[in-house]
Amino acid sequence: MSNHENKIKVWDIPTRVFHWSLVILVATGLITGFVSPEWWMGIHIWAGYGTVLLIIFRLVWGIFGSEFSRIETFAFTPREVIAHMRELLFLRPLHYIGHNPAGAMMIFALIFFLFSITITGLLVLGGEENQGPLAGVTSYQVGDIAADIHEVLALILVVLIGLHVVGVIVEMRLTRENLVKSMFDGYKIIPEGKTPPVTRPSRPIAAAAFLLAFAAISGSVLWVFSTMPPSGIIQMAENKDYTTECGDCHEVYHPSLLPKVSWAKLMTGLENHLGEDASLDRDVAASIAAYLDTHAAEAWDTEASNRFSRISLDVPYQITATAYWKRKHSGISADVFKRKGVGNRARCASCHRDAATGHFDDQNIKIPKQ
Amino acid sequence: MKTLHRTIVIATAAILFGGASSSIAVANPARDDIIKSFATQAEMPFSAERGKALFEAKPGGGKPETPSCTTCHGTSPLKAGQTRAGKLIEPMAVSKTSGRFTELKKVRKWFRRNCKSVMGRECTPQEKGDFLTYMSSK
Repeated sequence: MSNHENKIKVWDIPTRVFHWSLVILVATGLITGFVSPEWWMGIHIWAGYGTVLLIIFRLVWGIFGSEFSRIETFAFTPREVIAHMRELLFLRPLHYIGHNPAGAMMIFALIFFLFSITITGLLVLGGEENQGPLAGVTSYQVGDIAADIHEVLALILVVLIGLHVVGVIVEMRLTRENLVKSMFDGYKIIPEGKTPPVTRPSRPIAAAAFLLAFAAISGSVLWVFSTMPPSGIIQMAENKDYTTECGDCHEVYHPSLLPKVSWAKLMTGLENHLGEDASLDRDVAASIAAYLDTHAAEAWDTEASNRFSRISLDVPYQITATAYWKRKHSGISADVFKRKGVGNRARCASCHRDAATGHFDDQNIKIPKQ
Repeated sequence: MKTLHRTIVIATAAILFGGASSSIAVANPARDDIIKSFATQAEMPFSAERGKALFEAKPGGGKPETPSCTTCHGTSPLKAGQTRAGKLIEPMAVSKTSGRFTELKKVRKWFRRNCKSVMGRECTPQEKGDFLTYMSSK
């Protein structure tokens, strides 16, 4: 029994569940972002949505949670933070029952970076992929810039996580308390001679009400955004001549995959079309040329239309000759292209199941096993 | 002289027997009209055998990617072929793909393109007729 007397419940259940859920989601986000191939993007996106929900919850719980979950209990002044750093430097840190100043700083930094990462992630999703709530208001260019920022922030996050883990290990050694165990069972030991503080209980109903109100407002805003059609995607009727004449020999490539200049060059050189005579009757050729010119890459603002606009000068209308195509497919071995279900490099739709729409979503990639 | 004589005999026989028997099986007035239109410009009666030889030949003079009809159509007209870009080509044999060679516009287009791709020149009416006779007999 005496053991229990110097123990105190520090981390309430919501805070502990938050912490470990965040660990899982951030690990998922980092692995699917940096390591996994593109087609894991769906999971990456859900990890992002989950992370932002957790952070919102934690901020609310930082107001309504039990004593040590409240932000006010670990909002230290700069002077206190510097003092603690000095204690750490001399390896004599004072004992804190809740978060210590160094840990608190880390929490604020992690929350700031995680929030920024999810916001830039939403911009990438809306701008580059034309998906998510911001698809209607984000141009490809904004998404492209956001992608670079997203990646840099994520790298900083990795460093922060490393510092966080190192910090916990250092503090555990210096103060001889098992901080990891505390984050599982919620208890911390009070050093002898220190009186247990008066702790305030959590206010779950207030927290729930606040969250509900917040969810209603932000949900409505996001819903309004998500009803907007994705920017940069135009309405396009089918051209029967294009579908049948070109589709007789190869996949019907989406007109957005090449710029006007490429289509024009292609249509004037059909007698020698990548090693074959593909000449057409004049009226049919004119109809197809007009259709392609109207719906070429310039009319769109999608990832594919932007990327493939940088054509190869040697073969201005061969998509697989572009530097971007080559780079994106460099990890795929020649054997994969020879598989029966793939056929060859010209068959986008073998793996990109939405190739006909011109979208080329990462989540729609599925490489045939055979 | 002797070989020419033999060729004519074989060709006539082919039309009388081979051609006639198969045209009963898969007769199509539109296709017959197309073949007839070539016949008026041809020097001699059409021969399925010459058509077969043409189909399987590697004449040279065309584009290096397509040395023969069989490059894309496969060696058997009864089986499907594949374009270089990976699209399926229905079997050429009329017995397998009944709609074959029934649309003059299509026939003209594909002869123009593919003869140029394989041989570097357009096919003669004689060659076209031989080819269609062969595919109709199959």
